[in-house]
Amino acid sequence: MQRLWSDLIEHPWAVWAIGFGACVLALAPFDLSGLVGWLSTTPGQGPSPRALHWLGVLALSSLLVANGWLISRLPFQLQVLMAWIELLALFLLFFYSFDLSYEYILGRLRFLLGIGLRNGFLMGAALTLFICFAAIVASTVVALAAALGRLSDNGIAFGLSTFYTSFFRGTPLLLQILLVYLGLPQIGIVLTPIPAAVIALSLCYGAYSAEIFRAGILAVPAGQREAARALGLRESLIMALIVLPQAMRLIIPPLGNQFIAMLKDSSLVSVLGAWELMYMARTHGRAEFKYMEMLIAAALIYWAMSVTFEYVQARIERRFGKGVTS
Amino acid sequence: MAPVEKLLSGMTLGALLIAAPSADAGEVLDRVLSKGVMVMSTDPEYPPQSSLDENNEFVGFDIDVGKEIAERLGVKIEFVTPSWDVITAGNWAGRWDISVGSMTPTAARREVLDFPAIYYYTPAALAVHGDNQDIAAPADASSKTIGVGVATTYENYLKQDLVIDAEGAPPFEYQIADADIRTYDTDLLALDDLRLGDGVRLDAVISALPTILDAIDSGYPLKVVGDPLFLEPLSVAIDKGDPEFGAKISGIVTAMRDDGTLSELSTKWYGADLTQ
Repeated sequence: MQRLWSDLIEHPWAVWAIGFGACVLALAPFDLSGLVGWLSTTPGQGPSPRALHWLGVLALSSLLVANGWLISRLPFQLQVLMAWIELLALFLLFFYSFDLSYEYILGRLRFLLGIGLRNGFLMGAALTLFICFAAIVASTVVALAAALGRLSDNGIAFGLSTFYTSFFRGTPLLLQILLVYLGLPQIGIVLTPIPAAVIALSLCYGAYSAEIFRAGILAVPAGQREAARALGLRESLIMALIVLPQAMRLIIPPLGNQFIAMLKDSSLVSVLGAWELMYMARTHGRAEFKYMEMLIAAALIYWAMSVTFEYVQARIERRFGKGVTS
Repeated sequence: MAPVEKLLSGMTLGALLIAAPSADAGEVLDRVLSKGVMVMSTDPEYPPQSSLDENNEFVGFDIDVGKEIAERLGVKIEFVTPSWDVITAGNWAGRWDISVGSMTPTAARREVLDFPAIYYYTPAALAVHGDNQDIAAPADASSKTIGVGVATTYENYLKQDLVIDAEGAPPFEYQIADADIRTYDTDLLALDDLRLGDGVRLDAVISALPTILDAIDSGYPLKVVGDPLFLEPLSVAIDKGDPEFGAKISGIVTAMRDDGTLSELSTKWYGADLTQ
């Protein structure tokens, strides 16, 4: 029995048969009446709607499986390309079916992108990027300090660092944003939304990145440190010249990941009324009841920005990986 | 002041005082007149009261009323856009001076804010999906799933703890009992859920009648049920503790009502005079 089963699974056609079955199961619950409508030439005659539905499901499933089979014949690069193109086309078809007003999107796109100024400051995607860059710089400094504190022999530094990471990793970002904006005025520090947003994002992401820095520093072999010590370097110089540059190679990939996450989490600061991308999408969507239009446009802008971040990360990774990875 | 300078001066102040001082008498008025700018908070997610037009400018009834108040004070106006629950929480810490945001003066809000001037009245109405058959009067919505904006008077109405604390507010009675209340960030999200279909996520929504009518005009398949549930007086709000500023605002709004400016603006944005 088991033998039969494994033979079946390993048969080249089995995988396609299973795929076909999965397609049928996945498509069955959907209403395909629009699609199969043109299959029956004369309504009233011919097969019943129920039969037509199953006909549609089978036809569509065959199409999907045939498509998959054809693509699998191609070389790897082309397979990837085809998969991307087809998914993107489906994605656009999905949005197209919403019957959106493209005119409205185009009319208000420049505010989402943040072309131009509002009250002499940035807005839209430009403001989102500004908030993120400021928070990236600040959170990196905070994270490095917290990681060094965590690795320190000094009990106070260790305590400070662990307390900080514990609190900011242990509470939601939205709550931290509101605490900074609404809580600090209670002790006389009145911040406008943008500095409040940058502070909250820096503190939150600094806490996560601290652990990344710590892991990176610990991963540098102890022999490196010992060799530097044998050469008579001071401890601070060992960290700056020997350990950190080597740790960076390990730190960059997870850190880049953090920053991409931050790019999207920055949308939470829209609750403070900072005119970043999410806020612009919400308010302009509200103006004439075109919410979906603005949300989809904002989604595409966020996506494009993330892709750019990924690209930059890959470049930096290559730079710090010199001599280790090809 | 640049944000950094503001931060530094705030820190010194914080170190000296530990606790923030509440607004002294006349402080807000002094600040507005000496800077020549009145900062008004508004939530541009509520057409036709406040929204952004195709040039990214604020437009709406509340915006026009705010501009008129500033003009009569002889100062310029600036807008800031904190979220609604941040506005209604009070303790503005001088971030903005005034809210012309169609706010109902309730007893709970009066504990943290002052309401110097009522500038118009808006009917609260019950809306259902166009396909709905079984809710013919507000009372039929009892025990149904009803969507409202969070921290709105409509939520209070459904919870039956709405106390409108204003002179001349017409009395009302609770017609809907035991509603399954769903709260949303704004009223319009509730309308978005209702438009999905009758009973898909919601059976009904309570919101301002002008907002519902605006949505219907924009193609939302909704209908209004029966007569308005209650009439809300809507007021200008200021932070607690500056009666001089309040008196000034009160005087200006009364003058605007007397000379017909308010009626004119109401007709422009609502197509009806809601100010009497």
